Amino acid sequence: MRKSITLIILSFFAITSCEQDDICIDSTTPFLLIRFNDFDDQDEYKSVELDSAWVQDKDLYLTSETVDSLYIPLDLNEDFTSYKLAANEVVDDMNLNYTRSDIFVGRSCGYKTIFEDLELESNTNNWIKNIEINYTTIDNDTIAAITIFH
Amino acid sequence: MIQLQRLLFFISLLFTITLVNAQQDKEQDTVKAKQVYGIRFGVDISKPIISFIEDDYKGVEIVADARVYKDFYAALEFGYDDKTTVEDYINFTTKGTYAKIGVNYNAYDNWVGMTNEIYVGFRYGISFFDSKVNSYTPNMYGTYFTPNTIEPNTEFSGINAQWAEFIAGMKVETLKNLYMGFSLSFKVMTSNKDPENFKNLYVPGFYKVSLNNMGFGFNYTVSYLIPYARK
Repeated sequence: MRKSITLIILSFFAITSCEQDDICIDSTTPFLLIRFNDFDDQDEYKSVELDSAWVQDKDLYLTSETVDSLYIPLDLNEDFTSYKLAANEVVDDMNLNYTRSDIFVGRSCGYKTIFEDLELESNTNNWIKNIEINYTTIDNDTIAAITIFH
Repeated sequence: MIQLQRLLFFISLLFTITLVNAQQDKEQDTVKAKQVYGIRFGVDISKPIISFIEDDYKGVEIVADARVYKDFYAALEFGYDDKTTVEDYINFTTKGTYAKIGVNYNAYDNWVGMTNEIYVGFRYGISFFDSKVNSYTPNMYGTYFTPNTIEPNTEFSGINAQWAEFIAGMKVETLKNLYMGFSLSFKVMTSNKDPENFKNLYVPGFYKVSLNNMGFGFNYTVSYLIPYARK
């Protein structure tokens, strides 16, 4: 009786273990997902040969890629990000404004930043013909918040 | 005839065994050791040592238990923890008091006159605490932007949490009425209201709260027995 009680409780200790969250596996600060569509047939995707993309006064984020969509990070230290997108050896500006809020994720991931009230402050139209904002809140990586028509 | 003799022999053997058993029972009845009943007070000596070694922890715990019936002991622990946890992306401080109340069952058969224990037990725990997010760095994949560390110093006060605890441990009488004890505990959170936009990742008395609301703990105690009855 005594031995069995002790044994049951000790085996309970051994079998049950804590679920650790030492490694961050949840999604953190989302990136901006851009779709490239055909200006003439606005529902159709149209790939673009990007020469490069970078944020003003920073290093190149990417070089020469043919893409129909693009993941780029937004500046989480400021309420704006000014991207420069180069294609066919011409550069276009895309200046975005937004507000930021930090959402708690967990012990290992800490906080992530989400972007709200996304708006296009200004842009140039060299190879880009039009930019549309589809969603004003960026809280995950899966929805294309911006469509660029070219 | 031989078969009958054999049968009788075996029957007689059975009788002898029962007789021997009966004698043993009688002998046990005649030797009656007096059992000590008393109340024991003590402290967890691991907490002051950890407080001394680690800069980001301060804590104390006092313990008490009393033998109430045969091998059952009523047990109480009361303590205070002040802990700053440093994770990769967050730094937070939790401080508050806790109390645990429950029962220990001594599963150890002592020799006559000894009062050592190997026990299992159950506790109900409750903690009242405050927590503060000292700083955090928003988590972002990649290195294109380097997030600034933010010091919000957001304070959450008047939080409480409750849990159930299973304990296994031992207590050994080292000097007259002075006991050294060690125990391990496994905890399951039963009620824990997280603050807005943060979580109770550490709870005084419960310690680190894992993802599935479970936790582990240990204590190392020195306690003194004040006997009040011998039965």
